Amino acid sequence: MNQTARYDDIVIGGGANGLVAATTLARAGRRVLLLEREEALGGQGRLIEFAPGFRAAPLGLDPGWLPPVIAAAVGIQTLERVPSFDAGVGVALDGSGFLSVPRDPRQAAKTIAPHSAADAAKWPEFVARLRTLAGFLESLYTTPAPDISASSLNELLPLLGLGRRFRALGRRDMIEFLRTLPLSVWDLLDDWFESAPLKAAVAPGGIQDHQQGPRSGGTAFVLLHYLVGAPAGSVRGRTPWRGGAEAFTIAAEQAARAAGVTIRTGAAVARIPVKADAIQGVVLENAEEIASSTVLSTANPVNTLLGWIDPVWLDPEFIRELRNVRHRGCAAIVLYALERLPDLPGLKSADALAGVISLTPTVAALEKAADAAKYGTVSERPHVEITVPTLLAPNLATGSSHVMVAKAQYAPHRLRDGAAWDGTRRDALAKSVTAAIEAVSPCFTSRILHQVTLTPLDLEERFGLREGAASQGELGLDQILFMRPIAGWGNHRTPIDGLFLGGAGSHPGPGILGGAGWLAAKRMLGDRRGADRRW
Amino acid sequence: MSAQRYDAIIVGGGHNGLVAAAYLARAGRKTLVLERRPVIGGAAVTEEVFPGFKFSVFSYVVSLLRPEIIRDLDLPRHGLQILPLESTVTPLDNGDYLASWSDPDETRRELCRHSQHDADASSVFGRLMHHMAMAVKPIIGMVPPDPASLSPRDLAGLLKLGGHFRSLGPERFHALHKLMTMSSADYLDEWFEFDPLKATKSASGIIGTFLGPRSPGSAYVLLHHYMGEIDGAFRAWGFQKGGTGAISNAIANAALAHGAEIRTGAGVERVLVRDGRTTGVALSSGEEIAAGIVVSGLDPRLTFTRLVETKELPSDLLEGVRRYKFRGSSGKVNLALSGLPNFTCMPGEGPHLRGAISISPSIDYLELAYDDAKYGEFSRHPYMDIVIPSMIDPGMAPPGKHVMSIFVQYAPYSLNGGWTPQRREAFGDAVVKTLARYAPNIESLILHRQVITPDDIERITGLSEGNIFQGELALQQLFFLRPVPEWAKYRTPIHGYWQCGAGTHPGGGIMGASGRLAALEILKAAA
Repeated sequence: MNQTARYDDIVIGGGANGLVAATTLARAGRRVLLLEREEALGGQGRLIEFAPGFRAAPLGLDPGWLPPVIAAAVGIQTLERVPSFDAGVGVALDGSGFLSVPRDPRQAAKTIAPHSAADAAKWPEFVARLRTLAGFLESLYTTPAPDISASSLNELLPLLGLGRRFRALGRRDMIEFLRTLPLSVWDLLDDWFESAPLKAAVAPGGIQDHQQGPRSGGTAFVLLHYLVGAPAGSVRGRTPWRGGAEAFTIAAEQAARAAGVTIRTGAAVARIPVKADAIQGVVLENAEEIASSTVLSTANPVNTLLGWIDPVWLDPEFIRELRNVRHRGCAAIVLYALERLPDLPGLKSADALAGVISLTPTVAALEKAADAAKYGTVSERPHVEITVPTLLAPNLATGSSHVMVAKAQYAPHRLRDGAAWDGTRRDALAKSVTAAIEAVSPCFTSRILHQVTLTPLDLEERFGLREGAASQGELGLDQILFMRPIAGWGNHRTPIDGLFLGGAGSHPGPGILGGAGWLAAKRMLGDRRGADRRW
Repeated sequence: MSAQRYDAIIVGGGHNGLVAAAYLARAGRKTLVLERRPVIGGAAVTEEVFPGFKFSVFSYVVSLLRPEIIRDLDLPRHGLQILPLESTVTPLDNGDYLASWSDPDETRRELCRHSQHDADASSVFGRLMHHMAMAVKPIIGMVPPDPASLSPRDLAGLLKLGGHFRSLGPERFHALHKLMTMSSADYLDEWFEFDPLKATKSASGIIGTFLGPRSPGSAYVLLHHYMGEIDGAFRAWGFQKGGTGAISNAIANAALAHGAEIRTGAGVERVLVRDGRTTGVALSSGEEIAAGIVVSGLDPRLTFTRLVETKELPSDLLEGVRRYKFRGSSGKVNLALSGLPNFTCMPGEGPHLRGAISISPSIDYLELAYDDAKYGEFSRHPYMDIVIPSMIDPGMAPPGKHVMSIFVQYAPYSLNGGWTPQRREAFGDAVVKTLARYAPNIESLILHRQVITPDDIERITGLSEGNIFQGELALQQLFFLRPVPEWAKYRTPIHGYWQCGAGTHPGGGIMGASGRLAALEILKAAA
């Protein structure tokens, strides 16, 4: 096929990673074709119209972090975050009312003080500490994953650079960083605070898309991971884009087109043909063959390698390790089209609904919700968080109506004894989510115009998420950095010559817009030049 | 102050304290060990709890005692005699069993009965674990370097460590990384399919921690099962003849032979400090004994907040000690039996009674046991590791009678409503009832029963919150973080005051490594 190649590189996936990877390659002078299975770009940030006139980005609640170095490298300059956005996290109290913790640490201390003066006093230091530690992760996430066992000296060099930056943290924060990673978010919060509502407000950040409860080791790392690029004071999420959830995709598409990337949507890949250990291009589901010498896939690494490559080209041990990658999607999403904004008695300002409000009043209740997932069942009382994106982006609904997105955990993709997600289970889950919301918002049910429930299985089918996991691979300490997607393959390469991985399933993982795509594209360009020198 | 003056005083006659004493005495230091209880050994004691019935009351098996200590102190000459524990049998709920025997071929045949796949995987797994154990061995024997320090010694230590990891090669380094960070259930899922096998293996990963087998951080303790073997000193797990107290006695005898003195019934009230320097100790009797070096074998909470006044210590250290997690999660039930239990899965007397019986029929079983404890209750159906020492060492019980030691998890230190005599007995009942599911005649055999809760462990041995390892063996409390950053090298901010307990690297089990490394550091500092 190579003789007729019109493209140097094919990038699979039109989400943030695909767009950034394609732009990076095109800007380096390569002829790049980007293939997206859906009709629209955006990947997980994609808006869907779930009911006539109502739209939402069910997987794009957190707008993610666009590292400045990547924005500059691909020429995305016009994006802005919503100015003076202060909705942080909130939590329903045991009994009635809410604790809202805004992002401004001094305002937050004021709302915490009635629950615990000691905690209020510690809060500014706590969020500053989180910022410092997440800040170091930011350095780690914009560099190829260091691997101490790497054979070439060139691959060890970034390790030295990171070592320097690590030492720049200073003694206390260096140790704190190492100590925090394996910690449970439960222990982390116990170290700092005494107030149960405050702990309940922060803890859900440590279990995002994670099939473990807050007492489980490594959940403090999950909390930190999703705080990279978050503004100071935030314990949950980054600031939304001024232009709405789709703003990033629009800007990234513009950058890609400006760089000369050819974009094709509605083009689903069926397989990646290999000859003599080297990539030949791709074959689409409509049997169309497109030749290229390199392919960069931002789809799930396991799906890419086990679904699209003939296994004869892969080592059995490699295949075994791929099969062992844990995904374990465990979150379901319920989208509500509401006649008007719901009332939440006790919530001081409806603005808080633009942030995340957890309906789980204690960390113990959160842990209890997680227990079910261990045994492959759906929580009887799932952890539900709600947010109303129409407060910032009224164009997602019409008139005075609103959209509410509710995320429910734990709803494991894989159910016990081979049970399957069907309509009955989906309805039962939706019912318990609605009941949880109704409990804090009387008359909620009467305001529902439409609702759509996306179980992990639905997410797998509609968004291509393996096992329904938005993370493309659980964020365990054994599945990050040089261990992502599998041990020793954190460098975005694969055993197949010309095939690179640049999706969230590779370093640095989910939530970093273009993070993996950019590193993979740079790796590919470096390999093309036959030199490792740039790293 | 008494006229006697010592070079070094060891607070606490647990096995680590005794090891430290032996090494210091061997180097010519005039050394005194002070033990509060009438018996030495700490948690490694043998007591005749009921007339004629002797128990290793707390710690009951050995595997990790460092071979260099056995050599250096010539412990076999002083009474160390390990009797091998030859099998592990897991009774299953369907009346069958899963066994592993000392003969690898027999174990393989047994495994084949359940899963051909697992039998094949098992030998590869065993080899990998062997290599992993080799990989961590040098780390266990090293004073942890401080990653935040710029001192030449620390930098050299870090470089050595980096070089060590590199020398493993990528494959083993990555495997080690996975072991250190994964949950034992996930790790074993990658290897095996037979659930009782995974459960029995992962049980060793939860011992002494407040984690379930599905919680990350529980995998690396799997290694412990493979550590004893590689040293070639003795088999993986074994009994000391005469109970674990006899190990303490052997170490004590070595210390005495080198000239150390040991006083029992001598509880230390506090460590005397003047101008940031220790001058000796004061006993609860009021007696003061002078020494330039005081070594605490107690856990970090007692070492830093009870033996010395907190004003002597920097706030960072105290904060670290406050954050250090104990959370005792296990208890013991010691039974004096009129005869041998009859297990439904293996009726009658057989070789299985000379080994361990593991009540760990499935991962879910262990996980459910953990769930109870998480919410402040003892497990209704706990994990149990059962041995009958009198089968191997007949001197432990009167002729024809037996002693049974049952290690039980989970029993949380912070029980809802607190531990009372009634709750203790209820806990004992739950244990016996669970055991009776597999050995129905057990209830009729019980002559006496001793139930030990984490609360009892704390009260009797002093171990805070009843944690048998002087603090959880969790990743955030290991190596240079054990017990607290910056103070992981056995020193304390008080000049002449040292730590040598299992609350320091490398931690719990009858290993003795903390005591040895501490003593070597003390001698090096004086040199």
